Amino acid sequence: MKISRRNFLRLASFSTLGAVACNFFDEREFISQSPVQLPEDLVTGRDNWYATLCRQCSEAEGLVVRIMEGRAKKVQGNPQYPTNLGGHSIRCEAGLQNLYHPDRISGPLLRQGARGTGLYSPISWDQALDLLRGHLQAQTDRSRVLTVTGPLRGSMAHLTSAFTDAYGARHMAFQPMEDAAYDQVMQDVLGQQTSPTFDFKNANYVLSFGADFLGTWKAPVQFSKGYGEFRQGLGRRNRGTLVQVDSWFSLTAANADTWVPINPGMEGMLALSIAQVIISEGLAPQDRINQLTGGQGSSALDAYAPNIIAQQLGVPPLHGTEPHEVIREMARGFARSGSRSIAIGGSGASAHTNGAFNLAAIFALNFLVGSVGAEGGVVLNPPAPVPELAKTISAASTGEWHRTVADISNGRTGVVMLRGVNPVNDLPGDIGLQQTLNRDDIFVATFSSFMDETAEMADLILPERTPMEDWGDDVPSPGPGFEVIGMQQPVVNPLPGMNPMGFADILLQLSREIGLDGATPLNMPTYHHLLQDQARKIQALERGSVQNANFNSFWNSLLQQGGWWDRDATADSDPSMPNLAEIASRASQPIITGRTDGNTFNLIPFQTVSLADGSGANLPWLQSSSDPLTTVAWTTWVEISTLVADAIGLKEGDFVRVEGANGRSFVAQIYHHPAVPPNVIGIPVGQGHTASLRYSKGRGENPLHLLGLPLEEQTQSLAWAGTRVRIVPTGESSPIPKFEGIVPAFVPNQEEAIVKVTRG
Amino acid sequence: MAETKKWAMVIDLDRCTGCQACVVACQAENNIPINEEKDFLSRRAKQWIRIDRVWEGTWPNVKARFIPVLCQHCENAPCEPVCPVYATYHNSQGLNVQVYNRCVGTRYCANNCPYQVRFFNFHDPEWPDTFWNQLNPDVTVRSRGIMEKCTFCIQRIRRAERTIEGRDGGKVNDQSLKAGNYMPACVNACPTNTLTFGDINDPNSDVSRRARDPRHYKLLDHIGTSPSVIYLKKVDPNAPEEEAH
Repeated sequence: MKISRRNFLRLASFSTLGAVACNFFDEREFISQSPVQLPEDLVTGRDNWYATLCRQCSEAEGLVVRIMEGRAKKVQGNPQYPTNLGGHSIRCEAGLQNLYHPDRISGPLLRQGARGTGLYSPISWDQALDLLRGHLQAQTDRSRVLTVTGPLRGSMAHLTSAFTDAYGARHMAFQPMEDAAYDQVMQDVLGQQTSPTFDFKNANYVLSFGADFLGTWKAPVQFSKGYGEFRQGLGRRNRGTLVQVDSWFSLTAANADTWVPINPGMEGMLALSIAQVIISEGLAPQDRINQLTGGQGSSALDAYAPNIIAQQLGVPPLHGTEPHEVIREMARGFARSGSRSIAIGGSGASAHTNGAFNLAAIFALNFLVGSVGAEGGVVLNPPAPVPELAKTISAASTGEWHRTVADISNGRTGVVMLRGVNPVNDLPGDIGLQQTLNRDDIFVATFSSFMDETAEMADLILPERTPMEDWGDDVPSPGPGFEVIGMQQPVVNPLPGMNPMGFADILLQLSREIGLDGATPLNMPTYHHLLQDQARKIQALERGSVQNANFNSFWNSLLQQGGWWDRDATADSDPSMPNLAEIASRASQPIITGRTDGNTFNLIPFQTVSLADGSGANLPWLQSSSDPLTTVAWTTWVEISTLVADAIGLKEGDFVRVEGANGRSFVAQIYHHPAVPPNVIGIPVGQGHTASLRYSKGRGENPLHLLGLPLEEQTQSLAWAGTRVRIVPTGESSPIPKFEGIVPAFVPNQEEAIVKVTRG
Repeated sequence: MAETKKWAMVIDLDRCTGCQACVVACQAENNIPINEEKDFLSRRAKQWIRIDRVWEGTWPNVKARFIPVLCQHCENAPCEPVCPVYATYHNSQGLNVQVYNRCVGTRYCANNCPYQVRFFNFHDPEWPDTFWNQLNPDVTVRSRGIMEKCTFCIQRIRRAERTIEGRDGGKVNDQSLKAGNYMPACVNACPTNTLTFGDINDPNSDVSRRARDPRHYKLLDHIGTSPSVIYLKKVDPNAPEEEAH
């Protein structure tokens, strides 16, 4: 047939109609897509997921790590692990970059040049351990040896304290921005040696004083799991209410239903005021009120009535409500939810000269509503079921560090061994650890994978295995309210050319060589053997999530599951009621030190969700992760109220000199922040590193060096929120690195809001 | 019955705290290059899923709202018809797919995307040698001149199809995805369970159940893109009348 124009059109019509009418073709042929079936991505190889623990921060989440061809590819939360239930933080994710960091130290290094110059030469492990052992054995007075670690739990606490006790050394734990006041108040008010947790999932009202529990405080992943259910849990009758009392706009304040700004350090006074309202309005059972006030009733706290104290607290009017009425509404809301109310305090509330008083007054509120030990309240944690795992070594207070550094300075220390900590950078500069270590009559050894500021001061650097290459266990703190023991296993071998050793195995080897290996645990051949020894004790309990009469099967299940737990093994203690009148008698105003002239502000140094205390500042995923509120990355910024900045004439990106309480200063860029109170500025910690590590060297500043040495009166912990600084414009300006503005912002209009909001 | 699936995501804004866990999980899973300081300053940082922060009100009654924004996998995707080389197309499971070896870098798709979730590689990605060890072998490293964006972690879906359906003879659904580490990386990471992923054609799936929440809405719904990402409104008892919807 000749293909004329008419025939072509006819044929085309028939074929199209036929195809449609007969539905001859598969449905997918009508989907607009490429005519070629494309491989959307290639899937090759088999992967394995191994359970272990995250050690990037103290929360120690349970993880599963994806391994392909001997390399770790991805970390995710272990959905079975009772604390984090499958969730994880960005710091867990960045553990991979710790493992494969290009600046990891491959083998032992011995100092060649002057301290701090970074001149080292590689030596063998035999030489390194001979050298360390020689220095340990040379000490006639063994208390001249100081061992410094991070806070320890589980078998590592057991082993390290056994080693230092057997040898006769001193042992201190270091943690930047330590919270000794919190630990003390948990003992004083709740009568607990273990840290409690909070049943956010079942709570109806959460009153948080300064505790940034959704950001960086204690166990944010565990708390976030509960928070999600607190807001929109399946089967909940009412959405939970969160009120955040805070002198700074933290991530938790950003997520609160109501943020109540307050003058720094006045949180305890506000808690007493809330208690006064509950008592005077009879919102709690009378017998409980009598117990808490020693029979005095509301007269014990009348001096804290809202109309008397509101102005002193610095609470502004909110949504047209006067401050004293804001306090009354908080008290009524808190009391209305009864035992499903939680009052927590931490971060800024404890970091003042009166921090212990603040926390005592705050946590006493829980007794008033009966939420201690109740569902939806404060959940107490039992100790570990095996005594050898119950040991915990908490961070020493900053005051204690001050005295210790003075001791070193006075020549009372011959050897310092540091493991996994960087106090040269992280202690307040006024303590002067760096200058103190810079002397010839002291031998400094660090167990460190990276050349940080402390390692640069060391004579001997012993690279440790990273957590993904090493064994371990953990008793989480806070636990989930029942007994949990987490297991950490090596999921990969070190890369070729890397030659690290486990810290615990080094301690065991030193114990044998020095002759300390008379008893358990120091007589164990390896840390792996020690952990198996502990596992046998868990097996002997014959209860919990893993049970098996055969030890090898029990051990394998323990590792596969990521640990052992027993949901029925809860705390059985019944803490006695604190005395509110006695707590009130200890009430004190915070002492704020520092500049008072010119543009002065209360300085709030804060931890961000990415860098936290700065221990991961060398990891690019953490550096490049935008701060949730400002979206700034890679640098230090100064958060200042937009209203104040406009009044001073400061624009975003302007450089200012921040002059500290101790006369030190640095230059940083301004970020206009609509939610920062006019009397404070916020500066993130975590930057300001000088050591030769790519991604962290020379970035930003460390605000802890501006503080001087303000200490909490009772516990000597660092009162890091209790100083005042002055800012002076330098006249220079440049764009600030932030994600905000990289993609054009949505333009909300009346027809289309981006973040839609409903009242319920 | 893979053809009947339609992958979708529900994002509950009342659960989201803005913690960024999803953002970094996505970077790790999908071999997204390190966003260096210069990338922020030159406005070329890439985040397949980002968390936009919106300020509302004035001090002291100020609020910060968070909203995770990723490719919405629109049924009527404005990015698809403008691609001259079929590098972006809609597959039979409702995914808006980007084929890297077809992309010639016209950037028409990014210009046409109302959600601004497509990112262009102005440079070849760079990592120190040791960081190559951690790259995901299931995901192509994109070179200079290529457009990239969220794929709903299609490599995980494909792996699940091979493993669950091919090897184990099971059914790929949101429960089996969850059990086997096949959920998108952002969903796995989220500590507050803000994100739910699954087959919205299955009325019994978690994602279908949550999508029926009265708080549901779609981003820029009025422009008719018909996204596969469904948001649940933020709840704020203090919201002014005119703000609450």
